[in-house]
Amino acid sequence: MITSIAWKNIWRNKTRSLIVIIAVTIGVFAGIFSMAAINSSVVQRIDAAVNDELSHIQVNNKDFRSSADIQNTISDYTGVVGALQSTQGVTKATGRIIIRGIASTATKSSGVEITGIDVEKEKEIFTLSEKIIPGTGSFFETETKYNTVFIGEKLAKELNIIRYILTPGAIASLREERIPEDILTKIETLLGQRFTSDKKFVKAYEKILETNEIQKYGWKIKEAAWSYREGSKIILSFLDINNNQTGAAFRVSGIFRTNNDMFESFSLFVPIDELRQLTGMKEGTFHRVIARLENNDITNNITPVIREKLPDYEVLNWKEIQPDLAMITDFIDQIYAVFMVLILAALAFGIVNTMLMAVLERTRELGMLMAIGMNRRKIFLMIMLESIFLSIVGGFAGMAVSEIVIAITGRTGINLVKYSEGMEAMGYSAHLFPAIDAQFFVTTTILIVLTGIIAAIYPARKALRLNPIEAIRTE
Amino acid sequence: MKDYQLAWKNLWRNRRRTLITAASVFFAVFFALVMRSFQLGAYDRMFKNVIESYSGYLQLQHVDYFDDPNIDYSFEIDNALIDQIKEDPNVITVVPRLESFALAASGSHTQGAIVLGIDPRGEDKVMNVSNKMVKYKLTPVAVEALKNDTLPDRTKKLLDIFRNEAYSSEVRLMLDLSISDEDSAAILPVIRKHASFRNAFLEGTSAGEVVIGDGLSEYLKAGIGDTIVLMGQGYHGTTAAGKYAVKGIIKLPAPDIDNVIVYIPIETARELYAAPGMATSAVISLNRNGDDDISQTGKRLQKIVSEPMIIKTWQELNALMVNQMEADNRSGMIMIAVLYMVIAFGVFGTVLMMMAERRREFGMLVSIGMKKKKLATVLSLEMLFIGFLGVAAGVAASLPFVFYGYYHPLRFTGEFARMYEDYGFEPVMPTMLPDTFYLWQIVVVLIIIAIAIIFSTRKIFRMNVINAMRA
Repeated sequence: MITSIAWKNIWRNKTRSLIVIIAVTIGVFAGIFSMAAINSSVVQRIDAAVNDELSHIQVNNKDFRSSADIQNTISDYTGVVGALQSTQGVTKATGRIIIRGIASTATKSSGVEITGIDVEKEKEIFTLSEKIIPGTGSFFETETKYNTVFIGEKLAKELNIIRYILTPGAIASLREERIPEDILTKIETLLGQRFTSDKKFVKAYEKILETNEIQKYGWKIKEAAWSYREGSKIILSFLDINNNQTGAAFRVSGIFRTNNDMFESFSLFVPIDELRQLTGMKEGTFHRVIARLENNDITNNITPVIREKLPDYEVLNWKEIQPDLAMITDFIDQIYAVFMVLILAALAFGIVNTMLMAVLERTRELGMLMAIGMNRRKIFLMIMLESIFLSIVGGFAGMAVSEIVIAITGRTGINLVKYSEGMEAMGYSAHLFPAIDAQFFVTTTILIVLTGIIAAIYPARKALRLNPIEAIRTE
Repeated sequence: MKDYQLAWKNLWRNRRRTLITAASVFFAVFFALVMRSFQLGAYDRMFKNVIESYSGYLQLQHVDYFDDPNIDYSFEIDNALIDQIKEDPNVITVVPRLESFALAASGSHTQGAIVLGIDPRGEDKVMNVSNKMVKYKLTPVAVEALKNDTLPDRTKKLLDIFRNEAYSSEVRLMLDLSISDEDSAAILPVIRKHASFRNAFLEGTSAGEVVIGDGLSEYLKAGIGDTIVLMGQGYHGTTAAGKYAVKGIIKLPAPDIDNVIVYIPIETARELYAAPGMATSAVISLNRNGDDDISQTGKRLQKIVSEPMIIKTWQELNALMVNQMEADNRSGMIMIAVLYMVIAFGVFGTVLMMMAERRREFGMLVSIGMKKKKLATVLSLEMLFIGFLGVAAGVAASLPFVFYGYYHPLRFTGEFARMYEDYGFEPVMPTMLPDTFYLWQIVVVLIIIAIAIIFSTRKIFRMNVINAMRA
């Protein structure tokens, strides 16, 4: 009964209630949607870290990480792999050789981490082989008598392997993308010129095009002019097992693209046998064994189990290797809570004002209700419920809107091209696909109800303090 | 009675509503200011760290060097040009550098490094490097010795967390180990005894010697007196390799640079890279480094230098960082926009209620001869007062936080500080002193109030007096 009275009461002054409800709707929507966007970038970052860069568990020789010495190998490889694979929750495990070195071409050089991999097993563990840029080759599939290497796009750019050339084909493909003809005529002056870095290319077309044209079509033009000659060579030099400088020319087998510039420019992959030959490392020796788990959530439980089985080695999970990832996963809920509480606190002011108004304007009516025997507890409850209804109607509307918008943008994605450079340098994708756990909606609902209750305390107390006799007499 | 007196009195007829509405504005302004102040302060600090230890405010470079940092894009130092640049009223001095990439190795450890060939005395004048040299280091040996000495238990516990940490100032050391000013007289001598680090920056004569970042020295396990080998590519594709003794270890506040930096006398660098008389850049130090000063000086100097030379400002030199900060800045601004939007609805709701409640009063006033224009003015003033009350309170409440935070920046201690450093940030959160961002809050509140005023004025002018009186 009280519930339905409270519900009817809030619709007695429709405009006033609607203003509060709309405010709550907007606040809740803005809160949830921005969190979904942030959350998605974190989820994408963790997926990339686990699927392409680190895997879930790494087992190293105890001294390997503190001193990346080529001699610090895992003494009992089969034993380690056996121990990992017999652990519940571990799906796959494989060994790697890791060497620091320098990669160079005729014009440039860069410090790199050379990882020797078992190509077939690696494909089962990592999705990196799928991150290859179409048209740049393959993940070690072509037979060749040369040494081969799989490198990141960023490194390829740094080494001037990737260049920017506007070919007639590139112009044609831009035409297919419906780039206006006048822009195409303008950039045709660059036809056939060779640019060794994307910045030089950008500078060249910046001289020709207007600012708004660059903003609209710049990245498409860049994408079209992107060019790479298959089978380019790089020189890798490093120390061999006797600490002697050694090295060899490697054919680029393929180029991968991730959202992590650091990883792209620092990590490169070579079939393990080629690296063994060059360094003189014996068959069956590895620096690191990586293992994949069934999913990310069991990481914390499984790590100690493996650590106990392999006391002679250093066992680390992805959270320990990259503490910033662990920090972000742990903090994201708190950031969300702080932001949501801030928004709801701002909303509370509006609700307090509205409810106060509703009480003061109904002084006479409330006095009458008390006079005819409605007890104070019920009055209190009624005001509380009105406030809760206001916030919850707005809250549900806000959640519904966010759910719809998240569903749409989650499919199409939000592309923050302008910030991609900065974000990718930190390992985050600038192409966001907002997504959020159902859990967030539960938390939000609880917070909204709490806001309604807290905002009603002052007006409800005001109502309780009314003296029925005086209240009835007020105009 | 004057309009404003009338408005002011009206406000206090319903004290509660006035206060709640002003409080909601206060809440938004206060949070927006404190949040912005921290955010902008953090950017400012990060930029300063990288500018004052590495990039400088202005640099002279070869036009292609920045996009393609290759020693082949170096230039011959032209003393006439340098002198001409020095004549600019805002320029203090110009210091040439020869910078390149190399692989640094010590024993069996190797790491990619930035080799920065510098004029030791000039660089010290510009970047104040000698003050950044490591003065204390909590090496495992030092930590053990300190633990066996007389120190408070809390400090001993913190020693474990900050094991291997290096300090270039006592202030930072005291903060990390949570040593208060009163205790410092008793504790610091003990720490000095065990953890002092003998160390010096390069001198003009230091041929064959290098100073490396603390992060790099940790990585290479190379201490004072150890030898490091630098291998890279020299001028026009020659092979560059050389052996150098570590003379000193520096602790730069920007961890990204601290982990890779090798300082080497420029003459030695020229030998290493087979680039006699060349430089890849020259840092220009300025008297005044406000944003306007920098861009004006930059423009003036640009006129002096000719192709292939170019003047780069710190924003261009740190374009990536500027881009990252912009992305972060945008997200902060969205948060504040949401906050204000919610507050705006609260204010509109209040205005709507007030208009409805006082309909009869308005009708009465107009019928006894008050001009609608005057009534609207009084109402507008009421709303402006509420807005200003909120803004003034918000600004006043934020000032203590902002000023305190500026002079005593919030510092993370213990494990959290360590984590922050590992993540590549300095574990400190300074605020930014009042600046244009304060004005922006006032502008935003004024816009909200303006909308409310438009609404109420329209209402007044459309009011039917007879109907209103009957309400």
